[in-house]
Amino acid sequence: MKLLKIGIRFWITITSVLSFLIGWVMLAHAPKPAQTSAAWTNIAAPLPTLEPLRPLSSFDSEEGGFPSQPLFSPQTNLRSQFRPAFRTGGS
Amino acid sequence: MIRSIEFRAMSTTVMLAAEGEGAIPGMYAAKSFIDECEQRFSRFLPASELSDLNGSAGEWIQVSPDLMDLLQLSLNYYRQTNGIFDPSILTDLKRIGYDRTIDEIRLAGADASASQPGPPLPFEEIRLDPANCRVRLPRGMQIDLGGIAKAWILEKAAQLLHRYVDVCGVSAGGDIVFIGRPLDGADWDVYLEDPRSPTQTLAQLHIPSGAVATSSIMKRSWIQGQKVRHHLIDPRTGEPARTGWLSVTVIALSILDAEVYAKAILIGGEQGLPPLLQAGPPLTWIAVDAVGNISGSSGCKEYMYEYAAEPS
Repeated sequence: MKLLKIGIRFWITITSVLSFLIGWVMLAHAPKPAQTSAAWTNIAAPLPTLEPLRPLSSFDSEEGGFPSQPLFSPQTNLRSQFRPAFRTGGS
Repeated sequence: MIRSIEFRAMSTTVMLAAEGEGAIPGMYAAKSFIDECEQRFSRFLPASELSDLNGSAGEWIQVSPDLMDLLQLSLNYYRQTNGIFDPSILTDLKRIGYDRTIDEIRLAGADASASQPGPPLPFEEIRLDPANCRVRLPRGMQIDLGGIAKAWILEKAAQLLHRYVDVCGVSAGGDIVFIGRPLDGADWDVYLEDPRSPTQTLAQLHIPSGAVATSSIMKRSWIQGQKVRHHLIDPRTGEPARTGWLSVTVIALSILDAEVYAKAILIGGEQGLPPLLQAGPPLTWIAVDAVGNISGSSGCKEYMYEYAAEPS
C-alpha cells in the first residue's frame, strides 16, 4: 500500500514537470503575433463635425420656464404595443 | 391604447379589454352586466333563476326571456351534437362530488360517496313554451348551464362593450370573444395554455376577430374517495369523460359554437369527430394530449404563430 502511494506521488510529480516543460517548449516555438500595420490607423473615418448645442435659453417659452415645443413627441405606433395576455386556460 | 381590467366572477378570472375613448365606462358597464348575470344563472346560488327552475321539476314555471333563450340554444346544440352536449347532467355532477363551487371543493374536499348513475333522462324531455316564457322540467332532471351560460354572458358583454368602443375583447375561463381588430392592425394574441402546467404556453395564436373557447379536463378536477374526477360528464355513461385529450380549443365565429364544440369534441374524442364536424358550424380545433402533443384540424396552423411542438 505504501509503495503504491509513493508510486502515485512519483508519477504525479513526473507528469507535472513534463507537462510544464512541454508547454514551455511549445510556447517558445509558437509563431510570434503579427505585427500591427501602421496603415490601419488611417482607416478610421474622420469624426463628424457637430453643430454646437443651442443655448439652454432657447428652450424657454416666451413666458419662460417650459419649452414651447416638447422635446420629443409621443410615437403613435407605440400606443398599441401593450396587448392584454389572453390565455386559453379552459373550463 | 388597449386598456384592460381583470376580476373574479363565475368561479374564474374575467378579463375585459377595450381600445377607444369609451373603454373605461364600457368596461364597467360590461362588468356590472356579468355580475348581474352570474346572480341569475349560477346553480350554486339558491336565489338564482336557474335554482328556481331546478327546484320546480315536474311543474310549469315562468322564466325570463334570457333564460328561455339559453334553454332554446341548449336544446338546439343538444340535437346538433347528437346529445354529446347535454346540460341536464347536473344530477351526475352532484353524484361525483361537484355539488359546490370548485373553490369550495378545493378548500374542503368532495364528498367521498358516489352511487351508480341513474337511468338516463334525455334533455329532449324538457318542455319549452317560448311564446309565454314557460318551462317544464321532467321530474328528476336538473340543469347546469355552466359553460353555455358563460359563453352567452361573454357574447352579450362583448356586444355591450362594443357600444362604447370599436375594438374589444372579453375573456372568462378559457372562453374569449373579440370584436374588431386592434387599431395597430395586428391580430389579437392568444396563448395556448399547456393543460399539464397552466403557467406554460404551448403556442401563440393570432386571432383577427371572432371567438376562442377551450374545454379542459384538468381545470376543474378533484379527488372523490380514491378517484380523480373532472366536470366534463359524458352523457352516454353519466361518468367523467374518458378521453385521450386533456384539452380542446375551438376557434369559431361565435363563442357559443366554440364553447359547445370544444366540449363536444373533447367528450366525443377522435372517434366522435366526423359526425360532429359534419353537422356543426365551420370551426377550427386544436387538441392537446397527455404528453403535450398538439393535433388539430387542417386550418389550425393558420392561427398558430409560434409553437413548441409541430401540430399533427
